[in-house]
Amino acid sequence: MATTAAMQLNSDLMTGVLSASASTTMMKAGTTADGLDQMRMGYNKVPTGTSFDLLNATAAGVDKATKVYICNESTDETYYVTIVIDAKTIGRLYGGDWMFIPWNQDDVTHDLEITATGGTNNITWICFHEGETLTTQDASLGASD
Amino acid sequence: MATTASITLASSIMPNFGGYSKSMTLTEAGTSIDVKETTGYARRKLSATTKVDLVTMANLMVGEDTAGASHKIFIKNIGYNNVIDKSTGVKVFINSVEIGVLYGGDWLMMPIVASDAEDVEVQPLTDDTVVLEWVMFYKGA
Repeated sequence: MATTAAMQLNSDLMTGVLSASASTTMMKAGTTADGLDQMRMGYNKVPTGTSFDLLNATAAGVDKATKVYICNESTDETYYVTIVIDAKTIGRLYGGDWMFIPWNQDDVTHDLEITATGGTNNITWICFHEGETLTTQDASLGASD
Repeated sequence: MATTASITLASSIMPNFGGYSKSMTLTEAGTSIDVKETTGYARRKLSATTKVDLVTMANLMVGEDTAGASHKIFIKNIGYNNVIDKSTGVKVFINSVEIGVLYGGDWLMMPIVASDAEDVEVQPLTDDTVVLEWVMFYKGA
């Protein structure tokens, strides 16, 4: 059950071409043989102005090896989403930008939030993780509730 | 003068997940103008669990653009002496707020604000020696 993330970076900003590559197999925290085994993904249209929790931190995610990919699929380069983790602004993803990070939900306030600017931004996201268990159905509710 | 980064994700976790790939050109905030400044590619060897600055924003060569905030940083845990240890992790912070842990071989690419005090900090989980490679692309003030 392998999950891999590979990246290729090329730049001719300097007189010598800068090129770097990286590839990792996503493992559970601190292990060498046990790969991440759960994932979620989505595509959202994020209206401008309001802050939304894109991913909610949970106790099950504390000190795990969660990896998150987010891409701003907007085609207008002036549109952007501001990425915030636990009330700390990390940076902006403008139209066409992507990011890939480890995400340690080191407490349950460590939500990953986004706020759109410029117009409705279209966001693709994928979260590779471990440790999530399904919530038991609330027996007090009827089937039609 | 273009700087590009492409990512390819593959996984067998979810049946029928066909993988994902994306390429981006690093530009100045809100424009199609190629980013022009870089720290250059660097290495940092860490051998203690002390939190240290990987990037001190006040030291950037031409100052930093705090308005655009579309700067990008790439960091990779390359292990030590050609040994990549998945159990040796390094926490990454932005101004003391933890982003996550880069275990051996792991990497990140993310936007950063890059204003003063919003330094990128790293802290190994153990005192085992580990080396980080990193590069930052940014728009000067």
